[in-house]
Amino acid sequence: MPDSLHPAPLAKPTLAEVEAFLYGEARLLDERRFEEWEELFTADGYYWVPTEPGQTDPLTRVSIFYDDRALMRRRIQRLRHPDIHVQDPPSRTVRIVGNVRADHEETEDSRTLHLHTSSLIVLEYRLGTQRSFGGLVTHALTRENGSLRIRWKKVELINADGVFGPLAIPF
Amino acid sequence: MSIGIPTAQAQAPLQTSDVASLVRQDRVHRSIYQDPAIFALEQRQLFGKAWLYIGHESQIPNPGDFVTLKLGTQPVVLVRHKDGTVHVLYNRCGHRGAVVCNEPKGNAASFQCCYHGWTFATDGALVGVPQRKGYAADIDLRDPSLGMVRLPRVASYRGFVFASRAADGPDLDTFLGPVRKSIDDIIALSPDEEIAVVGGVHKYEFRGNWKHQIENLNDMYHPFFSHASTVEKDGRQFQRRSGDTEGAQIGGQSGGPNAVFEKIPLRGFPFGHSLCGAMPFNGERGGPVFEEYRRRLIARHGEERTRAILTVDWHNTIVYPNLCLQSAAQHIRVINPVAVDRTEVYVYPILLKGVPDPINHDVIRYLNVTHAAASLIQTDDLEAFERIQSGIETDGADWLVLARGADKDVEEADGSWSGIGTSELPMRNQYRAWTRYLSEGAL
Repeated sequence: MPDSLHPAPLAKPTLAEVEAFLYGEARLLDERRFEEWEELFTADGYYWVPTEPGQTDPLTRVSIFYDDRALMRRRIQRLRHPDIHVQDPPSRTVRIVGNVRADHEETEDSRTLHLHTSSLIVLEYRLGTQRSFGGLVTHALTRENGSLRIRWKKVELINADGVFGPLAIPF
Repeated sequence: MSIGIPTAQAQAPLQTSDVASLVRQDRVHRSIYQDPAIFALEQRQLFGKAWLYIGHESQIPNPGDFVTLKLGTQPVVLVRHKDGTVHVLYNRCGHRGAVVCNEPKGNAASFQCCYHGWTFATDGALVGVPQRKGYAADIDLRDPSLGMVRLPRVASYRGFVFASRAADGPDLDTFLGPVRKSIDDIIALSPDEEIAVVGGVHKYEFRGNWKHQIENLNDMYHPFFSHASTVEKDGRQFQRRSGDTEGAQIGGQSGGPNAVFEKIPLRGFPFGHSLCGAMPFNGERGGPVFEEYRRRLIARHGEERTRAILTVDWHNTIVYPNLCLQSAAQHIRVINPVAVDRTEVYVYPILLKGVPDPINHDVIRYLNVTHAAASLIQTDDLEAFERIQSGIETDGADWLVLARGADKDVEEADGSWSGIGTSELPMRNQYRAWTRYLSEGAL
């Protein structure tokens, strides 16, 4: 029997649990609840959107986003600033998350990372212009105090190496 | 009084003699940002004559290495031929005009057109025509116009490759003049005195004329307002350089919102080039990685020269009309006009050979923050550029004002101009060159 000295192995999330988590994350971003979104990440979590298909390293090639928690907070602080001109008026977005699949598991220090991939479509409307973005998303999820948290999230846009108009909010 | 060429009536070809009426000493007419006829004239007279930055030799180190690019809407290939020479080729088949190479970069022994298989050497020469006997004897397949045509002039300054679409004109050294020092300063930051432009590229675009971007780069009047959302309560911005403990001082000092920027020197040079003095960083850079970097510079140059190397005294250097170098978030920025109201910008991190790896990693991380399409800095400027493009549609007034500090411009003996702080001197200097380029034969 598990006890405090011999805890049960951390439960692998079910696909339904991961789907609910990803839908919830998408809704937080659509509703501009950025602070709550940031809290989904582990303390050492990061959010990455590469500039090149197949990019493996965020340190030797530039990225559209490569945010640790501190930079996420900077970004969100700016999103709340009254003088963020590029969000005056703010973007409206709607996200569709689909094709959620369990990929593989990795062990990192004493943590287990559960990698899941999903397809993401984001529609964004601002000042008379609608844009669309899409790509493959990988979430490396881990359990902390029973809850799923994001160790890292990578968004591989199909047009990663394309030319972008100004972007302000995470995908 | 209405001056200039109302867009709706721009049926007759624009005369180069009309151009001077669109630029006054301290203001410019809105049509220079709106009129497709002026855009076409700029493409012919300015982008068609000036030396344009194409790329850096570190992007094509080996024979056969190439990258494909656009100059305006024109596809070109920057390529190193098998004899080591660097060429810029129009990316166009000499037969029926198709784009030959679609790969963003790579290595090729030759280029072959997808349509009928015409094949070209990496210097553009036509080397293969399938079923050649089908052509009459009098067609000269050695005619260069049947190859991938070369841009007539290509030259490199310390690895920075420029090309001109014009066969004649000032040579590259004459064109660059004093701004060569900015290229020297960046290269000196490397303990090996060699840079590498191999860190990928940020690509962003905006719905506006290219001149909004080139006017913005040495505009010290805008940061406090445009970038207000990036400034902390103490007036400091986020960290931008490896080894710094804090960001630049943007505001929060006595003497008004732009007190800090009022002290920054500005220089305008011939051909429209300009630079602004260094950002208000202060405090000593440090930390183990930075000290190791400093040690490597000292080993090569000694203490005194190292101190000078690490104190780059400019922030942005504009090589008019399509290049900007920045020293803080160290990068090469290329401005590419694709239509009168549409501009693409490419931002390449400048990596230093011979430094500890984390120094270059920091260049990349900070450049993401300042100049990615999702950056915290550049996006607010893009919003301003798009608002200008919309705002000048109104019939409220015809002129945009570049008068700030005009009474304090100082013309130096060497033909350059000096000013200080939030003066709009760099823009006035750009329009002196712009008018000269667009006035036929005046350059």
